[in-house]
Amino acid sequence: MSAVLPAIEVGDLTKEFDGLRAVDRVSLAVAAGERRVLIGPNGAGKTTLFHCITGTLRPSAGRVALFGQDVTRLPEHRRTALGMGRTFQISNVFAELSLLENLVLAILGTDRRKWAPHAPVGAFEAVCRRAREGLGAVGLAHRAEQAARLLSYGERRQLELALALNSNPRVLFLDEPCAGLSPSERQRISRMIGALPRAITVVMIEHDMDVALGLADRVTVLHRGRVILEGTPAEVQANPEVRDVYFGHV
Amino acid sequence: MPRAGRIALALTALTAAVLLPQVAGPFWTGLVTQMYIFGLLALSVDLLLGHAGLFSLCHASFFAMAAYTTAILQVRYAVPTALAAPAGVLAGTLLALVLGLAVRTRGVYFILITIAFGYVVWGVAHRWSSFTGGDNGVTNVPFPAVGAWRVESHTEYYYLVLAVVLLCALGYRILVASPFGLALRGIKASETRMRSLGFACGLHLYAAFVVSGALASLAGVLYVYYNRFVNPVAASFPVSVEAALMAIIGGTGTIVGPFIGSWIMLGLRNWVSSFFALYASVMGLVFIAVVLWAPDGLVGLAGRLRARAQKAGAG
Repeated sequence: MSAVLPAIEVGDLTKEFDGLRAVDRVSLAVAAGERRVLIGPNGAGKTTLFHCITGTLRPSAGRVALFGQDVTRLPEHRRTALGMGRTFQISNVFAELSLLENLVLAILGTDRRKWAPHAPVGAFEAVCRRAREGLGAVGLAHRAEQAARLLSYGERRQLELALALNSNPRVLFLDEPCAGLSPSERQRISRMIGALPRAITVVMIEHDMDVALGLADRVTVLHRGRVILEGTPAEVQANPEVRDVYFGHV
Repeated sequence: MPRAGRIALALTALTAAVLLPQVAGPFWTGLVTQMYIFGLLALSVDLLLGHAGLFSLCHASFFAMAAYTTAILQVRYAVPTALAAPAGVLAGTLLALVLGLAVRTRGVYFILITIAFGYVVWGVAHRWSSFTGGDNGVTNVPFPAVGAWRVESHTEYYYLVLAVVLLCALGYRILVASPFGLALRGIKASETRMRSLGFACGLHLYAAFVVSGALASLAGVLYVYYNRFVNPVAASFPVSVEAALMAIIGGTGTIVGPFIGSWIMLGLRNWVSSFFALYASVMGLVFIAVVLWAPDGLVGLAGRLRARAQKAGAG
């Protein structure tokens, strides 16, 4: 059944802020296992669309479905339990907690043991082991005991990604994972995203065209809150209208 | 501090606590009993303040609700301690289940709504004279007695309070180190991230609020058996404020901090008020000094001084 159902289906989604339409009747469907990249100039409504899909914001109108299940009215944490994971455009990690604790929280978020009051975190050995593995996967294992506030900007982005990956997502939403990184860090992150198993569907906002077009199966172009084009990377690159809105009048 | 040093310090403190009634007179025994009780109240406030990041100013409500319930049952209905004391904790906890609705708000609004709740409860204690005894409160509360076992003196009661408070501190220590406690610190650090990781933050904070209220209620029951009476002062705003100040002065997010804070607040008040009428102003100045020069409380200050000494020693 889930093979034919899209991982994410958004229908006529609209978000208004005091009369300003940030997202304007957007419809899109992302197939299971697909890598979809959203592009568009600043203010196109990409992040707002993300917020509405993952439940951070309530849409003014429209529907969101996850593998065929209508989640429009569900709060954010319920959507996460159903398999949505996300990163934030501005790193949102637990600065005062250790990296290990950061990862433990990511793992426990979708686990009933998050309510356990009777034993120290260290007693949950399987969780701690998975947390260390999760840190190892983004190359931060050696700093497990340090507080996240001591990380560099790039390392925070890595931790940000590790948090999302360890919340057990079936669909992963990445909001500009490479923003503000050096070229080598960018490569590292995009390699990590590229190496994700196809069991995870990835929807990504990305400004860097090389990263975006290298990873994407399909690209959706947003402009002023609307979808103006959807297609393969080649189709999008060749489209004159996209060149116009995205790169400006040259 | 190394583990051995910490254990040695804990054992010394425990020995001192056990020996205190033998070497000090009844005045000191009584004062230190109060320090334990108000330290427990401050600890309950700090579960929200230091771990979850919620500044509650209504904990006197749970404290007083429990104290009044136990007192009224014992004095007016001659209910034995074995029922009256648990009933007091239960009543305070039930009140926390209601006032816990405050976790729908955050920041300043949470503070304001807890202040408002606190005034409602104080108003009931103060004005519903036919039931609460009004300004006079409920007097002649007996010492606790369970079956053949009964507390006969303030010294015996001191040991009972010490045992209960130690057990609470141990339980609290496990709670804050558990996944539940870690989740509270996660919410304090970033609620938006916690939600996106699948946590129902409101429910988590509500649970913490109720646990915190239950601890404050236990402190209230301990208080009423020590004090032998309860009046609306127990429910008043200054009690809530002082409990929070104790946690801040001692050091939030720690276990010894709220107790150190209660020792300093109660110790200073007793000492300064014996020769200076404006002792409340002195307390205010102490609080300002702590916030300015030791924002992590005295526990945090001790840690910083130790780190500096180590650095100096190494250099």
